Amino acid sequence: MTTRKLHFGRIILITVISTLMVMPVYLLFKISISSPSEVLTQHPTFLIHHFDFSHWRDVFQSGNIWAPLEKSLIVATGTMALATVIVAPASYAISRLSRKVRFGYIAALFFTKMFPTVGIALPIAITFTRWGLVDSDFGLVMAHLIEEIPFMAWILLSTFSAIPKALEEAALVDGANRMQALRYVVFPVAAQGIAVAAMYVWLNSWNEFTFALYLSLTTKTLPLEVYYYVQRGGFFETAAYSTLLAVPVILITFVLQRYLKSEYLSGAVK
Amino acid sequence: MKKKIWLRGLVGVGVLASLSLLVACGGPTKKTATSTLNVTMGLSDEEWKVMNQDVLPAFEKESGIKVNAIQMEAADVEKKLQASVAAKRNDIDVISQDVNTTAQLVADGYMEDLSDQTKIIPSSTYPIQKQVGVFNGKTYFLPYRPNVEINYYNKTKFDKYGLQPPTNWDELLTVAKTLKAKEGIGRVAFKMSGDVIELVEFIRSAGGDPLNLNDAGTVTALTYLQKLMPYLSADTLKGTFSTTNTFLAKDEVYYMPNWPFATNIIVGDGGRKDILATSGFAGPKEQVKTLGGEVLGVVKGTKNKAAALKFIKYLETKQVQQLLLKKNGWPSFRADVTGTVTGWQAPYYQATDAALKIAQPLPNVTYMPDVNKLINDIFQETCVQGKDVKTVLQDYQPKLAKIKAEAKKAQ
Repeated sequence: MTTRKLHFGRIILITVISTLMVMPVYLLFKISISSPSEVLTQHPTFLIHHFDFSHWRDVFQSGNIWAPLEKSLIVATGTMALATVIVAPASYAISRLSRKVRFGYIAALFFTKMFPTVGIALPIAITFTRWGLVDSDFGLVMAHLIEEIPFMAWILLSTFSAIPKALEEAALVDGANRMQALRYVVFPVAAQGIAVAAMYVWLNSWNEFTFALYLSLTTKTLPLEVYYYVQRGGFFETAAYSTLLAVPVILITFVLQRYLKSEYLSGAVK
Repeated sequence: MKKKIWLRGLVGVGVLASLSLLVACGGPTKKTATSTLNVTMGLSDEEWKVMNQDVLPAFEKESGIKVNAIQMEAADVEKKLQASVAAKRNDIDVISQDVNTTAQLVADGYMEDLSDQTKIIPSSTYPIQKQVGVFNGKTYFLPYRPNVEINYYNKTKFDKYGLQPPTNWDELLTVAKTLKAKEGIGRVAFKMSGDVIELVEFIRSAGGDPLNLNDAGTVTALTYLQKLMPYLSADTLKGTFSTTNTFLAKDEVYYMPNWPFATNIIVGDGGRKDILATSGFAGPKEQVKTLGGEVLGVVKGTKNKAAALKFIKYLETKQVQQLLLKKNGWPSFRADVTGTVTGWQAPYYQATDAALKIAQPLPNVTYMPDVNKLINDIFQETCVQGKDVKTVLQDYQPKLAKIKAEAKKAQ
């Protein structure tokens, strides 16, 4: 009886948390396809009674959507790929160092995260402007890496530290060289952690605003486009653009959630 | 040995991946030619359509100069210029800037002195418009698009409670009191969350001077606002030009001033035809509105100064101003550009036109941003915290004197 009650309570808790998380996205989507009279009132209805797709038609016909969408995709994916290539091997190497040295590395990595983005954005923008990196995808990827590399390294350090050294040693005893041990044993075991870290980096880069604002002139990312509509546009266009910003996040999370399994390491060492 | 090979392999993979990404992402976008002008503007979608379809192509055809018109809000222009000036690599040639944010740009030395180019200003320009870009006797900005806030009100609610839009301070207090009594919460709001435009209107309407802040007019205005404050909506302390639209359209407030671009959003897109507008109300001395809108300036150090001036001259022509009036409903700075807006937008245009006639720019002094901070602090202490008006104003005098002295020294 107690177990059933606990199970029931858990379901209710999960339902409440999920509802709270999904609600803002639902409201955004709802506003984007509702008629004005349903939204612009003191007591808006929760469900959609009169569908109005004209706001979405306007957004797609405006011609302002594809370029920012493309730029955001390139920058977020580029940041994720470059961060993974740089951080995964580095984190593995750091994780195999002594405890004290490892702590030193972590402290050094987090030192860069001590400053708010808005505080370092101007000096970085000045340097990048001097290097001719304004309005370039590569410049924005580099700027995002400043924020994302320490963050990803922190996640991956825990991941690699959790992989027993004995696992690599067993591979080396079986005749594999260091590279093969890394490729066929360590990285597959760490795939879960790498996927989670990469996903976070992608999401952070996708939503990033401050560096994009400083380093964009004629081209925009999707968050900048949403910012423009918040400042200058109507309620419905803003909701449609915000929904567009949220959709890839939901899709990516949905696709990558399979890597978020717990007990991934169980049974690895026999 | 094996370890070295392994390390080399790892480094090689990293370098290759980085290079491939570098190539995939590409370097900076195509560099602008000398005959290309980068111009920043803050416009809505509808206004961009007119700019891109009717205004820019004609200039490009006539001059052979390509115009790269870039959407940028006034506050962001300052950030961009900060970065590009410090990097000594300027990408922006001309800015169409909110007239009430120009003082900081001039004080920071970002703008070209255009005093020898004032001949560009058409002779038919309203006298007040000729002065909006002048700081310390030098012209840094040229007139382009005057604008002014109009006071939106919810006709349905006003009719329901038998109210009329206020025409003076007494009526405003009555309206605010009535709406609060009927609905339990304040339904009249102003934008007093850092923006001094409406605070300065109150001060000037009572005969005060925002650069003095210790005269009888300022005391009268703040004393009145202390009385009005309990009946205002809480949105007064968080209102911005974009949130005001939501407050009005969702019936959170029934009376609030905003820039005329709100008409298209609230009435056009939102379908709230019962939200009407007036030119505002008078204070004990007179009715004053703060002049807004945009002026044109050339960024210091641009290599395209001649082209930039040519473009500014084009935007100031009668033909372009007439077009902007007709298609965007923008009142002109030129007295010879006349016409009227027809259709559902007509009453809002008339309110704007009436408000423009009594509009005054914020003082053209480079230390105005510092004065703005003082005005906000004074408002917080007197109207939010309820401190004695005269004592607070007296306390702020040394700060104001210091700001003025430092500005004089910097000249």
